[in-house]
Amino acid sequence: MRIFAALLLGLSLAAFCAAPALAAKTELTFSWPSNCGPLNPHLYSPNQMYAQAMVYEPLVHYGDDGSVVPWLAESFEISPDGTLYTFRLRPGVVFSDGEPFDAKAVKMNVDAVLLNAKRHSWLELINQIEGCEIVDDMTVRLKLKNPYYPILQELALIRPLRFLSPAAIPPDGNTSMGIAAPVGTGPWILAESKKGEYDVFVRNERYWGQKPALEKITVKVLPDPESRVIALQTGQIDLIYGAGGHSAAQIGLEAFVRLEREGRFSTGVSGPLSSRLLAVNSARGPTSELPVRLAIQHAVDKDLLNQAIFLGVEKQADFLFTPIMPYCDLGLKPFAYDRAKAEQILDEAGWTLAPGARVRAKDGRDLVVDFCFTGNDALHKAIAEALQGELAKIGMHLNLIGEESDSFLKRQKDGEFGMIFNDTWGAPYEPHAMVGSMRAPSHADYQAQVGLPMKSELDQKITQVLLTTDETTRQAMYRDILTTLHEQAVYLPLTYMTSVRAHNPKLQGVEFTPMRQIIPFERMRWAD
Amino acid sequence: MFRYILRRIGMLIPILFLVSVVVFLMLRLAKGDPAMAYLRLSNIPPTTEALEEARYLLGLDLPVWEQYLRWIGKALQGDFGVSWVTGNPVLGEILYYLPATLKLTAAALFLTLALSIPLGVLAALRKDGPIDHVTRAFAFVGVSMPSFWFAYLLIFVFAVTFKLLPPMGMGGVSHIIMPAMALALMSTAINIRFLRANMLENMHARSVLYARARGLSERRVIWGHVFRNSLVPVVTSIGMHLGELIGGAVVVEMVFAWPGVGRYAVMAIYNRDFPILQCFLLVMTSIFVLCNLLVDILYAWIDPRIRLQGDRS
Repeated sequence: MRIFAALLLGLSLAAFCAAPALAAKTELTFSWPSNCGPLNPHLYSPNQMYAQAMVYEPLVHYGDDGSVVPWLAESFEISPDGTLYTFRLRPGVVFSDGEPFDAKAVKMNVDAVLLNAKRHSWLELINQIEGCEIVDDMTVRLKLKNPYYPILQELALIRPLRFLSPAAIPPDGNTSMGIAAPVGTGPWILAESKKGEYDVFVRNERYWGQKPALEKITVKVLPDPESRVIALQTGQIDLIYGAGGHSAAQIGLEAFVRLEREGRFSTGVSGPLSSRLLAVNSARGPTSELPVRLAIQHAVDKDLLNQAIFLGVEKQADFLFTPIMPYCDLGLKPFAYDRAKAEQILDEAGWTLAPGARVRAKDGRDLVVDFCFTGNDALHKAIAEALQGELAKIGMHLNLIGEESDSFLKRQKDGEFGMIFNDTWGAPYEPHAMVGSMRAPSHADYQAQVGLPMKSELDQKITQVLLTTDETTRQAMYRDILTTLHEQAVYLPLTYMTSVRAHNPKLQGVEFTPMRQIIPFERMRWAD
Repeated sequence: MFRYILRRIGMLIPILFLVSVVVFLMLRLAKGDPAMAYLRLSNIPPTTEALEEARYLLGLDLPVWEQYLRWIGKALQGDFGVSWVTGNPVLGEILYYLPATLKLTAAALFLTLALSIPLGVLAALRKDGPIDHVTRAFAFVGVSMPSFWFAYLLIFVFAVTFKLLPPMGMGGVSHIIMPAMALALMSTAINIRFLRANMLENMHARSVLYARARGLSERRVIWGHVFRNSLVPVVTSIGMHLGELIGGAVVVEMVFAWPGVGRYAVMAIYNRDFPILQCFLLVMTSIFVLCNLLVDILYAWIDPRIRLQGDRS
């Protein structure tokens, strides 16, 4: 009997001890270089996009396959002339403070954004909205000035058109000077923020959709990528997620590859998200000649560059936009790496190499191109030096100009460059917003293209493609624009940028989304 | 003594004025356009109109001397402007992060003194013995090793390998040990060598010989004469160490994710957030100069010769 009692006691004790271990973990610790900011949905820095996307939601969502799907709007209708968008709102959605999400709330937010329209002038969506009217309690209508087709893609953006609780909007309806509290409809609520140390998000128990498995996410402030790796290795954080390698990176590529090899953590690399490019100036210096631009395309061994500098983490790029972007899978012929061909093109164009000379010349001018980059960006510098070596092999000298970031931006804007870094913007901006910006003189794209004989024609086509309501015409026009840009070789695509992840292997559901600023915490859960 | 202190405080004003001019000009001499930096940080597309508006808003269209007068005028009233990144008042931000840095610096200073004084004395007393050799080797390595490298070594040993200490962040006492050690390394190494050399020099002083001749015990000779006299230059060097520690905190805070003003300033440098940098450099200079003043007063108190010179002039 005594043995039986002891056994029973032992078993119950064991069960008692084991009980907490059986319950799956519901907290996650992540890190970010700064605090998430005041989380105003209608403003930019210092509000962090990943956190804005956790708390606030859009009317329509940019799906994993690049299509636009209903979100806070249950359905939408577009008038035949393409200027009226009517959104039927999803019933039963409330903000995390209990306020209902209805037509009134939508109108208040749209009006607040329009009050500050000048600030959002970079975004065509805001320039095109004439007004927002309430049709009934759960229906709103956006009236546009023109039939601007990418309206849905731009409504899916993280900012500025997401929805804040009416109770948190200041009495004058203007959110540009601050909000009462960061209250949205999203799956997460900002619960606590300690400046310089951490932010804490908790699950929104009033969330209308599938509730996240995790209950709490602590985001520690860690600006240094090396410290972030140590934090992962010592269990201070559970997850590293985001860009790898460049200046705003979450983790250096060497460290990522080391973690990958170690095998202690689960790691992964996303598909292509945007393009790492150089804009080649068609209006200045030797690159104003098409043969010189074509020779550059053939002279760079991108595969070697990718292996040596990106350690194979990025993918080789052949086109301005990755073919997975809408309207971008055109079957164009990439410029193959072929040094002999590059040399032949230059010879035929009259850029010849005198005996004993290292740099080609034509009519007494040397083949020298100014290559501009941010001097303290280690990645830019490495690429610049590699390309200098590559192009020296065909008798072209790259004059490396490394400057601080403001001078670099000024060169992009003024066109004072031969070649300059000019990355694309990723989903959902590609191709429409990026192509649209090619008409603005303050962009490197405009400056690179301005020497093309067909530039004004190109700009007209861009204006038309954004306003056409016919899908077939739109496809044809994009083909036309992108083919011209490809053939004129005003861009030297290097790699397609990726995101990386490294985390505790027990953390599941760590997926990549097409918009690189979104971290899908709501899909993550701990394995039992 | 009182006049000496007053005179030293009076000297603070021209020093801070000069520093403010140098800081202001240095940031403006750098290549690049502050208006462009402002637009970039505020995520405003840099169109020509936006640039002009920003120049007007920030007063960049005025001559440099007028810009300076505007800035210093407001700064004297405690208004250092707002951060271009966060939009918050700069002085408030700096003062928010400052206590964490002072805490770390104080811990490192304590560690420096607690280690360097006994080790320096011991090395001098046991000259050419094993302790002296070890201490000299430590001092040599300590002076040569960059603090961030030592910081990573500490993390590798104590946090990654043996899991004894937390690798980063601010919290209990365990959090401050490694950052304070990394920060204190160089000052400790310098101080050990300095104290050892002073002790050795003073051991051969005539006053010490006389003390011995008077028949004082060896203990009183060493502590009352050699040690006390050796300490005077060490006290002065503490002023220098404070500067080193505050400067070193910038790097150490980055590695250990210590939420101090140094890390905040590094982010401002990356962002080229001018208002923060101007305020940071001025506040740090004030602290450094004030610490030196305190040390000088202490020095005058220990060594009557200084005080007398000060009073006479």
